[in-house]
Amino acid sequence: MSDITKETEKYKEDLQRLEKALEFSNTMKTFNLNKNNLKVKTQNLLSHSTSGGSFTVDQSLISFMNFVVSSGKTEITLLDKNDIPVYIEDTEKFLDDISSLYFEVVNDYYNEYQKLKSSRKIEKVLEI
Amino acid sequence: MSRGIIIFAQNNEYINYAEQACACAGYARRSLSLFDEICLITNTETLAPNETLINEYFDRVIISDNFQPENIRLFKDTTDKLEYAPFKNMSRSEVYKLSPYDETLVIDADYFIMNDILDQVWNSDNDVMINSKYRDISGRHQENIEYIDNFSIPMYWATVFYFKKSDFAENLFTLISHIKYNYKYYYYLYNCSGNLYRNDFAFSMALHILNGSVAFDVPSLPINYLNNSFDLDDIYRVNSHNDVIMYCADAENVSSHILSRFKDMDLHIMNKKAIGRFIDDLLSHGEKV
Repeated sequence: MSDITKETEKYKEDLQRLEKALEFSNTMKTFNLNKNNLKVKTQNLLSHSTSGGSFTVDQSLISFMNFVVSSGKTEITLLDKNDIPVYIEDTEKFLDDISSLYFEVVNDYYNEYQKLKSSRKIEKVLEI
Repeated sequence: MSRGIIIFAQNNEYINYAEQACACAGYARRSLSLFDEICLITNTETLAPNETLINEYFDRVIISDNFQPENIRLFKDTTDKLEYAPFKNMSRSEVYKLSPYDETLVIDADYFIMNDILDQVWNSDNDVMINSKYRDISGRHQENIEYIDNFSIPMYWATVFYFKKSDFAENLFTLISHIKYNYKYYYYLYNCSGNLYRNDFAFSMALHILNGSVAFDVPSLPINYLNNSFDLDDIYRVNSHNDVIMYCADAENVSSHILSRFKDMDLHIMNKKAIGRFIDDLLSHGEKV
């Protein structure tokens, strides 16, 4: 094989690799957009309202409430997501409610994320 | 305490807002359960040709035939079509007087409720709840707060808001009404951009004034972000009352689109023509009275 032919072959291989990389970049764009939308959905669903206040449920709220319940406090005043003090009259029930919500929502996020991650074909994930 | 959801709809020659409002009411009824009624505020001209459909989706209809000054808006249907048409959005400030409910949740006729989070608004300690944070489903707008202008105040989205009959809410709507009738003055005072009268702007200015014209925090709705689909996006398919697949305009090339699925997630779909194309599907998945 002449040097020119060899070089042409190498160029073709490079081009194919580049096309593959760009195609992968398109897949990643779709993956990232769908992942981001799942994240926003999760952030919106992790909301719990009680006693006139609204709380964003996260690990730190659950940990804090766990500490409150472990310390034997049955009622407390908490700052809600708008920094407004809200009186919680049954801390154990509140902890139960926010923990259940967190596990349920994050578990759904996990399942949907796995589905998204395991399939390179967006048509399959979106069921189209 | 009575609780109602209110949707506004006034048709123009470009869009049948009444049927879109019916679709939104159907979605709200399907996903939420702790309200008493869903009410439409409309004008005689819009009601007459759509009355049968409206009665299927709304518990109550209130007629407001107030004069609407000319407010011309550019409507986009992806990058494919652009059209100017009158935008009749000025009766929103009257909602405090018109609402027969102690607690009211107002939603735009293009806001599709697909989960029950907004049921958490009822019995809130807050007199008014409205969001400034939003997310763009296409990821084109990376910031999650928009400003009236780069050098002005944060913008609150009047797409969805809650109020209860209270002094704060009454004063807020008095101010919104005042701003509406003196819009040019406030437009320059707050360094607004664009020529359109926007409820979002009027609400933001009124909230700013009411809070003493200083930096302030207005309580947000239980949802952390308003999930906005702008008018460059399109609907791909409506699967059910809580499942829609959207064409999201690519951030780098808005004429090409990426598919994304929205399940159990509220959607503010600003492409009115796209809603019109899927109106039969949207109406069929919603719940009637």
